[in-house]
Amino acid sequence: MRKLLTAMLGLAMLAIATPPAQAEKKVIGLALASDTNPFYILMRKGVMMRAKELGWQVRVVNAGEDVAKQVNGVMDLVAQKVDGILISPIDAVATGAAFEAAYKAKIPIISIARGAKSKYQTLFVAMDSVAIGRDIAAWAAKAAGKGKVAMIAGPAGANVFQDLAKGFKRELTKHPSLKIVYEHTAPLTREKGLKHAEDVLVAHPDIRVIYAANDELAMGAAQAVAAAGKTGKVIITGLNGVPPALKAIMAGRMSMTVVVSPVAWGRLGVDIMDGYFKGKRPKQKVFIKPIIATKANAAKYLPPKKK
Amino acid sequence: MSGHDDIDPGTQPASAIAGRRLGLRLVFEQMPLLALVTVCLVTALISDRFLSGVNFTNILLQASVMCIVAIGMTYVIIVGGFDLSVGSVVAMSGCVAAWVMVETNVVFGVVAGVGVGAAIGFGNGMVVTRLKVSPFIATLGTMVIVRGAALLITDGRPIVGEDGLPDVFLAFGRERLLGVHYLVWLPLILFGVFGWLLHGTAYGNRIFATGGNREAAFLSGIEVDRVTTSAYTWCGALAGAAGVALASRLQSGQPTAGEFYELTAIAAVVLGGASLQGGEGKLYKTVIGVFIMVVLANSLNLLNVHSYWQRVAVGLVIIAAAAADRFKARRL
Repeated sequence: MRKLLTAMLGLAMLAIATPPAQAEKKVIGLALASDTNPFYILMRKGVMMRAKELGWQVRVVNAGEDVAKQVNGVMDLVAQKVDGILISPIDAVATGAAFEAAYKAKIPIISIARGAKSKYQTLFVAMDSVAIGRDIAAWAAKAAGKGKVAMIAGPAGANVFQDLAKGFKRELTKHPSLKIVYEHTAPLTREKGLKHAEDVLVAHPDIRVIYAANDELAMGAAQAVAAAGKTGKVIITGLNGVPPALKAIMAGRMSMTVVVSPVAWGRLGVDIMDGYFKGKRPKQKVFIKPIIATKANAAKYLPPKKK
Repeated sequence: MSGHDDIDPGTQPASAIAGRRLGLRLVFEQMPLLALVTVCLVTALISDRFLSGVNFTNILLQASVMCIVAIGMTYVIIVGGFDLSVGSVVAMSGCVAAWVMVETNVVFGVVAGVGVGAAIGFGNGMVVTRLKVSPFIATLGTMVIVRGAALLITDGRPIVGEDGLPDVFLAFGRERLLGVHYLVWLPLILFGVFGWLLHGTAYGNRIFATGGNREAAFLSGIEVDRVTTSAYTWCGALAGAAGVALASRLQSGQPTAGEFYELTAIAAVVLGGASLQGGEGKLYKTVIGVFIMVVLANSLNLLNVHSYWQRVAVGLVIIAAAAADRFKARRL
């Protein structure tokens, strides 16, 4: 058992990405919510890319969507005395202990994409969800003209998706020709998008717009619409701008998505951290700039092919 | 081993062989401890941050909730059962406790949280003993039911209350007594109480007897069904207590908390050398098993090992421990 253990740790040592810290280079920690969600895999890529350009080291801990594990991971980063921590908090309240631990160790802790309620949160690099919801609704209203609208909103507990839906609905009140006939919250999976869209198509065969809270849901909805032979007749909106969704838009299976590139988000997080190290202290939330992608421009936002 | 692990000198004429066997046996008996020390040593050699005061506190805090769950799991495994529902119970109890204390007060909240856990544990015990459903299936069922119920009563949202949970409760998750976090005192006390109950009372003997040989225990007058149900009830109550403790650390009741805790707890019990066949195990070794899992996760983080590799490493350790256990059974 001991032999096996040492062999295992030897293996682990091989997997260590980087040698111990040098004196001048910054070492930052990244506390990811998940290492299997494409959004976070890409965000991690963005953070790594930008950090490499600056000559920084990144130490990554993963939580697998378990809040307690994320708190533990941040405390492990604090124990390593990293210079700063980037985090995408799984829960706004439950990660409080993590923010407090970082604050007490005088380590700046900056949230990306999801924010925390903790007063110890140094900064929050967010997206303006209400504004994005409004933009999606405005685009859909213009594209659809009139008809029935179905909403497949995101997880019930997440502020981001509540705000998106709020912005979407508020804008739709300005377009009385569009009527919301279906509204459900759902976890962000393709399977749920498919299921809800199937239900919508049965209940309202004349559905005109399907709003999906993210690209996974939207692609699931697109599958249902295709199965019903209605591709092109139903407008499907998504969010995130992940490559499969962009390709679906280019193929005409989906109508639009909002590109909030997780890679760009990760890079922006590192830049804000860099600014913070250099004494820049923005008072408010920093917002990432969203871009609407449709058939006309979707190809532009596909990531360049790897060499 | 249920306390009968002294070697029998009568059957060994050559004392040299007996001596070597004793040495081997000692090594195998303390295998979990050796594994823990090895992980600590290797990490300390590579990372200078491992042996810091901050990290020591980290490890204790990170182990506290799992320790409470694993104590209960040890009871159920020794009695010859299995409990997959503890992770869901952690979530359910945390949510119920948070909800009740927001509506009434902290004491009612804590009692409700632990009580819900005990009730679910009792239910598990009844399904296993009365309906004769295998523990694996019975608790797989409750695991899913309870997770669903936790999501239903919370509407999928964390419970935080209008102005947060009561201050006393939050302080419990944050403050220290005599330099040690309350969250660490709790498993320490529970370990003392449940260690005594298991290893130092007639009731504990009945648990070992029931798990070791149910038929023989029944024939010698032990009410095996009652003993089994009681073990499940303790397990549920302890998972409930763990859920309440976790809620205080997370400053909220989280319906999605505690996922996969059942697997970590079972792994810890097995790492501690308890037999999944029942009738065998020691509580202190379970605690060592928990620390192996927690220190491993901590050190892999400190060593900046990629999270995908971490999964592989943890799996390897579990298999290695089980293999070592089989090796012990063959050789001794």
